[in-house]
Amino acid sequence: MAEAAAIAAESLAGSKARAARTVLGQVVLPGEELLLPEQEDAEGPGGAGERLLRLNPGARSRVRVVCGPGLRRSGDRLLVTKCGRLRHKEPGGGGGGGGVYWVDSQQKRYVPVKGDHVIGIVTAKSGDIFKVDVGGSEPASLSYLAFEGATKRNRPNVQVGDLIYGQFLVANKDMEPEMVCIDSCGRANGMGVIGQDGLLFKVTLGLIRKLLAPDCEIIQEVGKLYPLEIVFGMNGRIWVKAKTIQQTLILANILEACEHMTTDQRKQIFSRLAES
Amino acid sequence: MAGLELLSDQGYRVDGRRAGELRKIQARMGVFAQADGSAYIEQGNTKALAVVYGPHEIRGSRARALPDRALVNCQYSSATFSTGERKRRPHGDRKSCEMGLQLRQTFEAAILTQLHPRSQIDIYVQVLQADGGTYAACVNAATLAVMDAGIPMRDFVCACSAGFVDGTALADLSHVEEAAGGPQLALALLPASGQIALLEMDARLHEDHLEPVLEAAARAARDVHTLLDRVVRQHVREASVLLGD
Repeated sequence: MAEAAAIAAESLAGSKARAARTVLGQVVLPGEELLLPEQEDAEGPGGAGERLLRLNPGARSRVRVVCGPGLRRSGDRLLVTKCGRLRHKEPGGGGGGGGVYWVDSQQKRYVPVKGDHVIGIVTAKSGDIFKVDVGGSEPASLSYLAFEGATKRNRPNVQVGDLIYGQFLVANKDMEPEMVCIDSCGRANGMGVIGQDGLLFKVTLGLIRKLLAPDCEIIQEVGKLYPLEIVFGMNGRIWVKAKTIQQTLILANILEACEHMTTDQRKQIFSRLAES
Repeated sequence: MAGLELLSDQGYRVDGRRAGELRKIQARMGVFAQADGSAYIEQGNTKALAVVYGPHEIRGSRARALPDRALVNCQYSSATFSTGERKRRPHGDRKSCEMGLQLRQTFEAAILTQLHPRSQIDIYVQVLQADGGTYAACVNAATLAVMDAGIPMRDFVCACSAGFVDGTALADLSHVEEAAGGPQLALALLPASGQIALLEMDARLHEDHLEPVLEAAARAARDVHTLLDRVVRQHVREASVLLGD
């Protein structure tokens, strides 16, 4: 009952613009507007009542915040465009800025973002580039020179249908995404063609982010169960390989089901598997 | 239908509602595992299911790709068992095509299509049981499905139908009231800004009566917004609890 009242109160309050600080951790819906925190008046360098000269004395200046996924700027407010919980991260170094605001939303379809590490499937080889399906709206292009130790004479051994783990070099809405399998120093760093066998399956993006969080219990528990190799792609794809096919399938089913289980149910399943 | 009074002297309609009262609405999000987004809504006896895929590659001819926006492709289909008499053609007939175009116009206004140029967003709506207000139920279901898919939207889109009987504007018409032949209007609204995404009427209505009917439809659409708001909040809460927040 209390929850229903809380939900009703939240929905009625949504019609006015609220300060972003007060809504942290709460559910926000598209159409809501959030006010940015204002900058406090800085004391003038001379102290003793000197004020900074402002070009427009009426408006108070606002702290610079970074608008993350799920938020757009409209005027001097933030417009929410996806439903989810509002999150905030303080800026790392002491230097200016109000940090990052973003909306934690649940999604199955991936949209390429620069710097993301993803698992792709090679769909075509045309001349010097491979076309890789990453689950977005366009296949990404991967040059054959973007592998460690690849030269024009020494081409990498990549066939159509292979799995590639790489990161996006270029990913914006206007251009075709480009991915590479080397980092900025020219080293592979774990990227490249993913080996034989194993199983590739798809989960939601929220689950991947949770599994890749620094101290994720699920991964630690899974690691204690069987020895395994696992690759997470930010596009919702997971590749897993264990000693036998049965173990691989068990791991795949556990990871897919993790999304719909509470912590206790998960611990029960793991203890049952550890016994058998 | 002769002798059936749509609005009694005490102000009650055929199903016992008041003039501006909505039917009972129940909705659920995330009903399909395979689709990117899905939702199911029941508005009284009208039941609609919406499924969203996207943004993905343009299917069919590449020439249809828009260089600065996503293509929104809507398809409306009503099941053969949805009406009183069995329908022969579930989709592809004139009414379904027109509904598809109207849904497309509605959602191009609400979805931020410029964030996904050269891609396509598919919205498929199926009416499982039609008891009046099918356009409104389709729009409401599709809004929830688009939100479930995580496609960025400017605002909710809430829709409601309205009619005019005996000098009073009625909101949320049922099939009996629609079949009686009076003027009926369908309105799709973006509630936060009050902007109209689509307004459709193909009947004759005196211009003096347009204002009260529009007002009744807008008020009903805002009531629908309150309900859908609650449904989405509940769904997000449940999803984030399972992800361990």
